[in-house]
Amino acid sequence: MSMSMSMKIRRRQLLKALGLGALSGLAVQGSEERARADVVTPPARIVFFVTPHGLVPNSWTMPIPNGASDRFAERELAGLREEELSTVLRPLHSFRDRILPIEGISHTSALADIAELARTGGDLNNHSVGVAHLLTGTRALQRPGSPCSGGARSLDQELALRTGAPGRFGSRVYGFDYVPNATVAPFSFLGPGQATPIVADPKAAYADLMGYYVPVAKGEPRDREALIAAMRPSVLGAVGREYELLAPTLDEDGRKKLEEHRRLVRELEASLGAGPQASCDPSFDQTGHEVTQLMRLVKLAFACDLTRVVTVVAPVPQCPELGYPAEATMHGYAHQSIAGATSCGTTFDPVAERAMTDLGVWYAKHFATLLRELDSVQEGTGTLLDRTLVVWLTELGTPTHAHHDGFTLLAGAQDFFKLGRYVRYPRTLSNPIPDYPRIGPGHNRLYVSLLQAMGQSDVTFGMTAARGADGSEISLRGPLTELHRG
Amino acid sequence: MAWVSRLLACTIGVSITGVGAIGCDAAEPTETARAGVGPSPLRRMSNGEYLNALHDLFPEVSPVLPALPNDTVVAGFENAAEAQQPSDLRIARYETIANLYAAAMTRDTASVKAVVGCDDWSTPDLAEGCASKLIERMGRRLFRRPIPLEERGRYAQRFQGWRAAIDFEAAVRLTLSAMLQAPSFLYRPEPWRSATNGASSSTSSSSNSSTRVEPYAMASRLSFFLWESVPDEALLDAAAKDELATELQVRSQAERMLADGRARRTLWSFHRQWLGLGRILDEEHTFRTPQIDPRWSPTTPVSATTESRLFVENVLAPKGTLRDLLTSRRAWVDADMARIYGVAPPTNTGGFAEVLLPEGQRAGLLTRVAFLAGLSHRGGTSPPIRGNGIELRLLCRLPLSPPPGADLSMPTAGPSDGPKTTRALFELRTAPGKCQSCHAGLNGLGFGFEHYDAAGAFRTQENGLPVDAHGALFGTDVDREFDGALELSGALARSEVVGRCAATQWLRYATGRAPQDVEEPLLEALTTRFRASDGDVRALMLAIVTSDTFRLRSPETR
Repeated sequence: MSMSMSMKIRRRQLLKALGLGALSGLAVQGSEERARADVVTPPARIVFFVTPHGLVPNSWTMPIPNGASDRFAERELAGLREEELSTVLRPLHSFRDRILPIEGISHTSALADIAELARTGGDLNNHSVGVAHLLTGTRALQRPGSPCSGGARSLDQELALRTGAPGRFGSRVYGFDYVPNATVAPFSFLGPGQATPIVADPKAAYADLMGYYVPVAKGEPRDREALIAAMRPSVLGAVGREYELLAPTLDEDGRKKLEEHRRLVRELEASLGAGPQASCDPSFDQTGHEVTQLMRLVKLAFACDLTRVVTVVAPVPQCPELGYPAEATMHGYAHQSIAGATSCGTTFDPVAERAMTDLGVWYAKHFATLLRELDSVQEGTGTLLDRTLVVWLTELGTPTHAHHDGFTLLAGAQDFFKLGRYVRYPRTLSNPIPDYPRIGPGHNRLYVSLLQAMGQSDVTFGMTAARGADGSEISLRGPLTELHRG
Repeated sequence: MAWVSRLLACTIGVSITGVGAIGCDAAEPTETARAGVGPSPLRRMSNGEYLNALHDLFPEVSPVLPALPNDTVVAGFENAAEAQQPSDLRIARYETIANLYAAAMTRDTASVKAVVGCDDWSTPDLAEGCASKLIERMGRRLFRRPIPLEERGRYAQRFQGWRAAIDFEAAVRLTLSAMLQAPSFLYRPEPWRSATNGASSSTSSSSNSSTRVEPYAMASRLSFFLWESVPDEALLDAAAKDELATELQVRSQAERMLADGRARRTLWSFHRQWLGLGRILDEEHTFRTPQIDPRWSPTTPVSATTESRLFVENVLAPKGTLRDLLTSRRAWVDADMARIYGVAPPTNTGGFAEVLLPEGQRAGLLTRVAFLAGLSHRGGTSPPIRGNGIELRLLCRLPLSPPPGADLSMPTAGPSDGPKTTRALFELRTAPGKCQSCHAGLNGLGFGFEHYDAAGAFRTQENGLPVDAHGALFGTDVDREFDGALELSGALARSEVVGRCAATQWLRYATGRAPQDVEEPLLEALTTRFRASDGDVRALMLAIVTSDTFRLRSPETR
């Protein structure tokens, strides 16, 4: 079944939509020209694809011929056949020259937090900490009686604040719904301990995107319902005024809440009628897997410039979906998926390793769908993908809940990142947790690179330094320049 | 409570009311501590309160609504003021829902007449009068207070603008929509005033620093706590007459409200959140199949939740106690639940009927499907998860986290091991010394539930081996070794630690925040009263609403 909404696009909107190109400087440049450009053009958009449970390292890492283990190493992907890629990367073969898998990134802030929590107490459950740290990179918020939570605004929401505008949502967060008892969500935070709402139902997500749409029938007689609908900004204006009047009468905490509420009401008011934009197809195909439907919505949101930041949190499928028994769970397999990773009584099971590998492939196929969707929309002389930074992350370094060597993959945004390579950072830094493996650079530094790619000038994000178990300082400042174009 | 918790934390772990760091020094009480009034942060309606409010305000309509974003849960509760930061999605949903309700309430002229309380708006003067009436009526119900002249003027001006642009009925609809999105509806702002009159003598020690909650705000405090919804006319009338000032007046209103059917909502909502009874609705459990759990059906999670709700409501609504909740064999079951409990199904198709569960097998909430299956993996029980449920929920103790890398999956017997019980597998899994520091306690509690399989069905054998449900309870006033969940439930029902935990969580639920150090004397008093009343839940709720912390505002939050 397919649902769609026909729209009349006003000329002002059309110009504005085209203005997106002008705004970001891609209107007339071809990809080759862009590659030669002296001034790097920041990507217009970013999408985070977060998959829970980590990946089995031997399912996604690749050897680098002659690559030394004590320094940065890389391998070109362009000439490789599909079977020469690692198992998880194979579904991305057709995009091999536009992806950048990164080995050796450590979730150092999580490791530092765990080391500190072991001394001070609090929820140091590896999974909860990993979730809290993935997009915040800062010490988790500890609330007695609850799993720990994100300790600050997450990167996606930070970018949302900086890129939102009237007619354009700051961000959209889609996917696996927040289940209070689970530890695998949420990943996105508006502020300390404040989960960003996540929409799991694609149909509801589509309705949200269309929420800014105010039908206008210029020159034609309006029916009464249309007239009432046209009063939405007026009603919101009245509502905003009430928040404005009440806020100053409250204490600081209450005032802040109402002022934020008022800001969002004003934003909604200003947005009505300002979007969606032209050059997009405001329709929604409700076929295929729900994750696929959400990927199409990402395309729609970007094509219509309804947001520039999307976070998609992938679900953990039930085992039969991947051909495993109904009584099994992916979480159960996760703990048994890596040979030699022992803890309280754990045992390695090759079936579990295969299941987690298949899970990684399943995610990779969805990621490939996202890339294909973005690549299917022409933008200037390129496609949406060219100007979109696509980031695949997972909250655990390994399914056995380690935090070093986190799977990291970038795609799109070819002006800023040097794609088409498999790269590996050396693990030369002391792990904050005693007797744990040495680690590579922290994901905070990757996020600095992402911020800079998005045209921001930040040099830090979240935690700025950690201390290794040997007492050495681990800097979390500055970008990972090895990833950038020269 | 906090210093008691810290003392406990020195030996046990981290208290649910304490904060992260474990300190063993009890600070001297301050002046504020003696006052015993905690802060009153601005509260937004929780999703449950919001939907109840809409239902109670507009019972004649029930438009299909989009889902609200989940409330952020803190310590199990969905109404934590500290986690109510607004989001663009929430604001958009509020707008959509306001528009849907406004449209439904003005769907035809007869509906408009009913909502406005006016029959004739045919002239400008009549229309103005009707608009004024609408704003006054709706303002009082939606904002839970009289609407001052200036505010009324603003709404009237907007109304006239919308009327001029479209028509009277459209203006009613748009005004309703605006009011349903206003801060005075969605939030619970509390004006404050000096406690120069009406404050009871019991507040004299604190009247220098705390002020009595303004009457209409008090009406809202009462209704959102006792009904999870807006005040009714009687409560607003009492506020108008300043009859929510004394302890006696508050008690009288609260008793009336507890006798009302709406109080059942709070009884269920609190216990659902406190005891985690909603876990059974998580995807892990809804995905179970009969192949995994033979007694399971797709409707079991909902049936189990309904069974728990009916048990809590029916046992507590007249005059029930925490002891009843933990020991009663009464149950309201449908065919699904009857199959798992091994009792005759009700004769009314699809309905629930009261039965007495088998003696020696069941006793109270901890031996019901929602608790037992919700704290199991599908296809297998998890004694540590069940033990953790008791620790966290009933003893208010936050167990320490598993060590990094701990295997939290289901242990299974090796191919050559022969049949094993779950107990034996977990004993082996958690045998290492570093596991035992926590698992001695967790397993000690959780093994007591091994007579119930992952679906919550009673069993005496597992894999052909006899079930051993002996366990041990540590760190409480009723420490003991026990055999099975019935003995454990009986001990917990008599425990002062459990009573204190219940009082702590009720206070958290009532105030929308964690109890503070200054409220330690109150918690002591609530616990004492709770014990003296034999765990009478309604008596505890009454004690909370007549307490200073419920009736006063501390100076920090003016």
